[in-house]
Amino acid sequence: MNEFLVKIGRGVGGVVGALYQAGREAIDQVIVNILPFMAFIALVIGIIIKTGVGDWIANLLAPLAGSLLGLLVLSVIIALPVLSPLLGPGAVIAQIIGTLLGSTLIANGDIPAKFALPALFAINPQVGCDFIPVGLALGEAEPETVEVGVPAVLFSRLITGPVAVLIAFLFMPLLPYD
Amino acid sequence: MDALVVAAEWFIGLFKTGGDVFLSLVGGIIPLLIVLLTGVNALVALIGPERIDKVGEWAARDGIIYYPIRYILLPFLAVFFLTNPMAYTMGRFLPEKYKPAFYDSAVSYVHPPLGIFPHINPGELFVWLGIATGIETLGLSVVPLAVWYLLVGLIVIFIRGIVTERITAIMWSRREAK
Repeated sequence: MNEFLVKIGRGVGGVVGALYQAGREAIDQVIVNILPFMAFIALVIGIIIKTGVGDWIANLLAPLAGSLLGLLVLSVIIALPVLSPLLGPGAVIAQIIGTLLGSTLIANGDIPAKFALPALFAINPQVGCDFIPVGLALGEAEPETVEVGVPAVLFSRLITGPVAVLIAFLFMPLLPYD
Repeated sequence: MDALVVAAEWFIGLFKTGGDVFLSLVGGIIPLLIVLLTGVNALVALIGPERIDKVGEWAARDGIIYYPIRYILLPFLAVFFLTNPMAYTMGRFLPEKYKPAFYDSAVSYVHPPLGIFPHINPGELFVWLGIATGIETLGLSVVPLAVWYLLVGLIVIFIRGIVTERITAIMWSRREAK
């Protein structure tokens, strides 16, 4: 009987401890990662709305973001092996372009809401391109693997970037937005 | 003098708009996010991330039936349990020839699940949130978009893994021929 109680006590203690630790981590993540970026995005959006730069950028992006061909072109440009490692860090560029598209063209109804799905892939073919050597090192790759792997991933993105947009475009009609 | 006041008002207005945006982001997103992050963090801690090591060993095998394990199941479990950037350490279970493709596949999956599992990459939330905010402004639910982003992402990383594996193999044989 005693053993049983000890077991239950330990189990409950473990679960409660894990939950409490999880809450602590969640608050840390919000304070360290999420709130600073929200402040940054809020500043960018505020300036864009107030100065009218937003309309200007929206006009520039509208032909690219509003059609399949435009999104394919956008994804190929971002995936160019000379550009993709530069556009990668912190996904800052993807986050800004995404916010611009979302808060102007999509929010205003200038491009159909369904285009959000292919757009999510079109703004992101460079994901992780700045991080390939580190990522491979985390996987304990040999130096030779890194030498081959970096160009392999970069060139692969030229193909799979637009392919991702195309696949998302095919699934687009399944979204319930009209 | 009047001109100065107008200029000052415009200047403050720039940040006031930003402040409103910040408030709506914090009020609309952070409460749900904190509770969700807590729940998922606890789940991951209770299940134990070391359990996915078995899948890593499994994914290392040759043969066509192991492709979906290597480029769908393993990247998904890796980013879900280990999150960005520790997910890439799962590459250590794979032979060198598969490491670049696995990295490509895993790193491409740190954004598609963000609508439902933001714990994977809270620092880069706006890759998803930027566009999702536009959908919300239109008064539509973002959940269908989140679900299809997650699902289409799985197809995309599968293709990405296969293509990068092929390109790595070609580049490797060329290198050896030299």
